[in-house]
Amino acid sequence: MAKVVCRKHHELIQHSAPVQPMNSQPFLRTFTAPAVLCAFGFLAAMAAVLQFSFRAYIPGSLDPGGFTLANFADLLKPLYARVFFDTVWICFLTAVSTLIVGYPLAYALVRMQNAVARSILLVIVVTPLFLGEVVRTYSWIIVLGNNGFINSVLRDLGIIQQPIQFMFTTFGVVVALVHVTMPVMVIMLAAGLSHIDRDYEKAAESLGAGPIRTFLTVTLPLSMPGVVAGVTTAFAWTFSAFATPQLIGGGQVNMISNLVYQLGFASFNFPFAASLCVAGLALTIVVLSALRLAARPLENIRPH
Amino acid sequence: MKRLLLALFALAIAVPAQAQDKLVISIWGGSWRDLVAETAARKFTAETGVAVEFVTGGTIDRLNKEKLAKGSPESDITFTTSHVGWLYANDGLFEQLDVSKIPNAKNLADEARISPFHLGAWAYVYTIGYRADLMGGMKFESWSDLWKPELKGKLAAPDFDPSHVIAVAALLSGSDAARWEKGQDKLKALKPNFKAFFTNDANSQQLLASGETPVQIVLSMNAYYMIGQGVPITLAIPKEGAVLGIDTVAIMKGSKKAELAYKFINALYDPEIQAQIAKLKKGSPAVLNAKLDPEIAKLPGVFSTAAQWKQQINIDAKLRAEKTAEWRKWFAENIMN
Repeated sequence: MAKVVCRKHHELIQHSAPVQPMNSQPFLRTFTAPAVLCAFGFLAAMAAVLQFSFRAYIPGSLDPGGFTLANFADLLKPLYARVFFDTVWICFLTAVSTLIVGYPLAYALVRMQNAVARSILLVIVVTPLFLGEVVRTYSWIIVLGNNGFINSVLRDLGIIQQPIQFMFTTFGVVVALVHVTMPVMVIMLAAGLSHIDRDYEKAAESLGAGPIRTFLTVTLPLSMPGVVAGVTTAFAWTFSAFATPQLIGGGQVNMISNLVYQLGFASFNFPFAASLCVAGLALTIVVLSALRLAARPLENIRPH
Repeated sequence: MKRLLLALFALAIAVPAQAQDKLVISIWGGSWRDLVAETAARKFTAETGVAVEFVTGGTIDRLNKEKLAKGSPESDITFTTSHVGWLYANDGLFEQLDVSKIPNAKNLADEARISPFHLGAWAYVYTIGYRADLMGGMKFESWSDLWKPELKGKLAAPDFDPSHVIAVAALLSGSDAARWEKGQDKLKALKPNFKAFFTNDANSQQLLASGETPVQIVLSMNAYYMIGQGVPITLAIPKEGAVLGIDTVAIMKGSKKAELAYKFINALYDPEIQAQIAKLKKGSPAVLNAKLDPEIAKLPGVFSTAAQWKQQINIDAKLRAEKTAEWRKWFAENIMN
């Protein structure tokens, strides 16, 4: 049996190889089949969401009604524009803060000589990935709350009388999101940094540049592709944040996914929730394209 | 070898056959599952010898699953909140109940007879719960106390369902839930007092326990649970009444064990079982003949007479099923953001 199959394959390759160059990789189709299947499932789900977004909501029923544009017309209300703007703003703040905090970590991770210290650092950086978003967010509630770690310490030291409000603020949400996003950012930055040929830095140093100047004029520009990849990923990663803004934002700081949950799942208005999803997806595509366009000059930095 | 395979094959057939002899109940997880497991399910199994299996999940997850499985349901019995039950019923997912097969149902309170498809299993109230230790002797005698300026930035309410506060605002504006629009201005006036909106029971508990929001519109059974955990919460019952909530039970359409399901529901309405439910979770029995411990009977949100049921603010479940989305959207657009 196996023999026949082999021969068949062999024949196929022999016969069609000159016509179809794809068959020069005989296993390509077999190996990509699962991915293609998944893609079809994903597309079907997207199509379902899309068709829901164009259908009317019938109170008291789970089945949507006929075709309507009302869901999208409703999205023009100022509230939704504000939540969309807030979402982009929170993503921006998170991506930039994560970059600032993550860069030194990634730098240390790549450049540290001591292998043990490097492993420890790697474990610390990656551990949050294993904890899950909800656990991480709950820990932040314990840290940021009115009677939480930060406020208790400040109060015991006599620095403050009244607790500082961290919960239910954009600041609190961004702090927790930075923690959630950190591992991804550090890993992408470290990948970018490790590709830099150290000879360029040595050349700069031999020409008399100090360590700061070397970093600013050689290392930093050369790490730009990593920075762009990291920021883009962090941005997209944060865009879909749900548990963190839901728990720390407490309904006062809302991102798109929170609105989808509140309006769609908590109150059964699936068509409107679907239209929010579609609009959110469109916004993600627009923002990420803009980001890519803006970063293009940085990405083309290559050693000459 | 062949014989061994045959034996395995026979075993594989035999196991599901045996497993079929069970009643599948769909319910929320955690303590709700335990509540039914320790009371009605135990009695049902003792009486019939049929085991009970639970499938658990969130309200909407379970609804969606059953909708997809329409006709050949994943469970025989579903527990859900009264207004969500109407969504099941409107979608043809519930069997119309033959009450003559549930003799104990004759003792049900009028309010617990939700529809021909689903009946109240137990009840509770949404009311004002507060940390007396953090509120400096403040008392809540009326719902209108929530509007006091001293409460600025101290109040939390559920973010998944604003029905309670919408019904209250309508009532205080001389209207009711059906004509809720009259209460809109009143609701807008409450906006400065809201500090946060909680997503789930755990979130609500965390906000009260930490004192982050010392006043909440809270589910009575959850408040009693928190009190049991050592959080010093006082439950107020406003003079206008608290907002009644009813969790219901129903038989899934297409269930092959409808007869057993009726037996289960009858066990659920046994006065002893209903008294156990009140004792375990401090919810109200749905029947009027449960013999309650006097300590339990006096708790806010536990009713032992028909008059007590009538004192509560009762939002019609069907109206609520139809209006929740509209309310939720208005609330998101005007109060939460």
